[in-house]
Amino acid sequence: MFFNSLQFAIFLPIVFLFYWFVGNKSKINQNYILILASYYFYSCWDWRFLFLLVFSTLLDYLSAIQIEKSDTQKSRKFWLWLCISINLGFLGVFKYYNFFADSFAELFQSFGFNTSPILLNVILPVGISFYTFHGLSYIIDIYYGRIKSEKNFVDYSLFVSYFPLLVAGPIERATHLLPQLKKRRKFNFEKAKEGIYQIIWGLVKKVVIADTCAVYANTIFDNYNSMNSLSLMLGAIYFAFQIYGDFSGYSDIALGTSKLFGIDLLKNFNFPYFSRDIAEFWRRWHISLTTWFRDYLYIPLGGSKGSKWMKIRNTFIIFLVSGFWHGASWTFIAWGLINALYFIPLLVLNRNRNNIDAFRLSFNLNSFQILSNILITFTITCLAWIFFRAKTINDAILYIKRMFTDLHFSEQYLSIERYNFELWSLLLIFILTEWNSRTKIEPISGKYSWLKVSLCMAAILALGVFSDYKEFIYFQF
Amino acid sequence: MKQFFLFIVKGLTVLLLTMILLDVFYTVVYRKTDNRNKISFLFNTKNQQYDVVFLGSSRVNNHFVPKIFNDQGYKTFNYGITRSRLEESALMLKLMIERNYKIKNLILQVDLNINTNDHSEAIRSLFMPYIHQSETIRQHYAAIPEYNKLLFIPFYRYMHYDSRVGFREMYASLVHKETNALYNDGFNALLKNQRPMIAADLSKYYPKRNKAYEEIKVICKKNKINLIAITTPMCMSTINRDYFNHINSVYPEIHRFENAVTEDKYFSTCGHMNKDGAIEFTKVVFNAFFKPKSKP
Repeated sequence: MFFNSLQFAIFLPIVFLFYWFVGNKSKINQNYILILASYYFYSCWDWRFLFLLVFSTLLDYLSAIQIEKSDTQKSRKFWLWLCISINLGFLGVFKYYNFFADSFAELFQSFGFNTSPILLNVILPVGISFYTFHGLSYIIDIYYGRIKSEKNFVDYSLFVSYFPLLVAGPIERATHLLPQLKKRRKFNFEKAKEGIYQIIWGLVKKVVIADTCAVYANTIFDNYNSMNSLSLMLGAIYFAFQIYGDFSGYSDIALGTSKLFGIDLLKNFNFPYFSRDIAEFWRRWHISLTTWFRDYLYIPLGGSKGSKWMKIRNTFIIFLVSGFWHGASWTFIAWGLINALYFIPLLVLNRNRNNIDAFRLSFNLNSFQILSNILITFTITCLAWIFFRAKTINDAILYIKRMFTDLHFSEQYLSIERYNFELWSLLLIFILTEWNSRTKIEPISGKYSWLKVSLCMAAILALGVFSDYKEFIYFQF
Repeated sequence: MKQFFLFIVKGLTVLLLTMILLDVFYTVVYRKTDNRNKISFLFNTKNQQYDVVFLGSSRVNNHFVPKIFNDQGYKTFNYGITRSRLEESALMLKLMIERNYKIKNLILQVDLNINTNDHSEAIRSLFMPYIHQSETIRQHYAAIPEYNKLLFIPFYRYMHYDSRVGFREMYASLVHKETNALYNDGFNALLKNQRPMIAADLSKYYPKRNKAYEEIKVICKKNKINLIAITTPMCMSTINRDYFNHINSVYPEIHRFENAVTEDKYFSTCGHMNKDGAIEFTKVVFNAFFKPKSKP
């Protein structure tokens, strides 16, 4: 059941009505309704994986209680590592086993040993990376005494499997979400209205921007051998907007949906393509994952304390793991590495926190420099996206090589019976809309909101891609 | 909560109004367009009189040169559409009758398309803008599963078939951007030659009885149209050319022309002839069934 499906359009109002009219009397009822809805939502993909979700929830729940109960550090450590190992074990088996088996076989073959790896014929449980990280953050926070363990199993289960965030985040923190689940939620019209606006804007991003860009990006990436430089550049730009529209659109729908139930989720995107350097980009892109890695990996590794080499090492580890988190493929690892290489100079020169403040543009040299920096950051981000999107590293390298050597910048008619440049006006309107509303959660609220709602609806209906249905990219992670 | 429900009702009203307005706008634009494809041309013309009409897929669109017939005094038009199947050809013929066309001869391509009873989604979409205006189109699609949605939900048909009749096509129609579909009386020549030519593989093909073809036969009989069903050439390296031999075991009346042109120089790809091949082939077909009315 995808957020942009008819099924979800029926499911959401039903849950909403039950939640506010049947379960409204107590927090317990509200949570029961949400947990039932969440399990139903998850089972729509594959009900068998529901057991995995429940097991993972139970494991984290019991481990946390055991950690808290333990008298000795040794025992606390034991429960922590048991829980982490089992969680990562599941993730490893379902997500990474085939990748490692294949890679080791290839390595052995390169030394002349002929091996045929035993591959598992399993499908990846949807959302496993997200709910595993949910659970891990909780258990680590308990271990470090940042929070108390949750004794109410229903409340804890809801924290892990709350349907708006279950399959593609944002990766919540117990400190942020659990307190909200411990109280009875009261209906707030303004919040619900904001949620609806956010859902509509999320749909625009997904159906109009991401799916339209996907039509062009897929054609260009799949046929890069016959594309000219202009097409290849546009292909990378289209993919950049595809993945942004897709994932931030999903996040907007998740956050908006959650607001309908009176629950706030963590913001996941903050206009990343308006970043002035790569450090700022990573503070604005997939924020819940970036901060997760910062808090649970980077800082425990020593963070930015210690020598420069330590900082560089930690940065590399963070980006490598981040790339690997996205999927079991060398292309994701390369993407992580490239981002690390972009980041290192800023770190070495102590400039990684230069662009933290908000900025305004006017007609002066400083604004010109800001715009240039935004453009440069976007360009290098697009180059890295090529590795993320390409099927193999070799394809990515050939793609980039052709982009810089073909040197033909003419219009090109693609196999989808469209010209390569056709999306520029749509993207320009989108960029300007995002730019104008970059201080807000979504661009609809405020003056003339009904006119904006109508325009968004017209855009979804008229410009959306419906015949060539595309899943949310991040569901596969 | 009451406030929120009012807000939702308002939102749904805006959505419905937007759908109706867009539907009306798109439909008006398509109704005023007759130069984008053969279906829009057909829908927006009436009372045409033809001595010969060609119907079929790209193997008609790229293979029959009406000029050769016209030069001999036969008013002819090539209504073949790339990707269309016999189901769409049947609807084209029904629409011609609805638009009061007078047709003496129909040359229908019946070869690879009787391998399946399926339809072409791409060509079906081109009929959708006219579903409210044409009883024939409504009746033709009355049995398909999405019929009620396509007919009764405003704008649904333009969303469902967005790649063909969505915003992009509507905009091109609005600004009267012409395509070459109607040039040369509907004949679209293929000018590039695939070399080396990749052999077409018909090893999984076998002719079957085809509902649409049988419907076309009935329509022609009822409207006194002389139906000439023919096969069209494929390159000699085609795998399983035996397929054509089986065609007559299913439909003995089909005239065999798959060997009318054989040399590779006449083929653009294995399944499609180039311009020279089309001229040669059209001459062969003309001489087989017609005599010149007037000298060129």
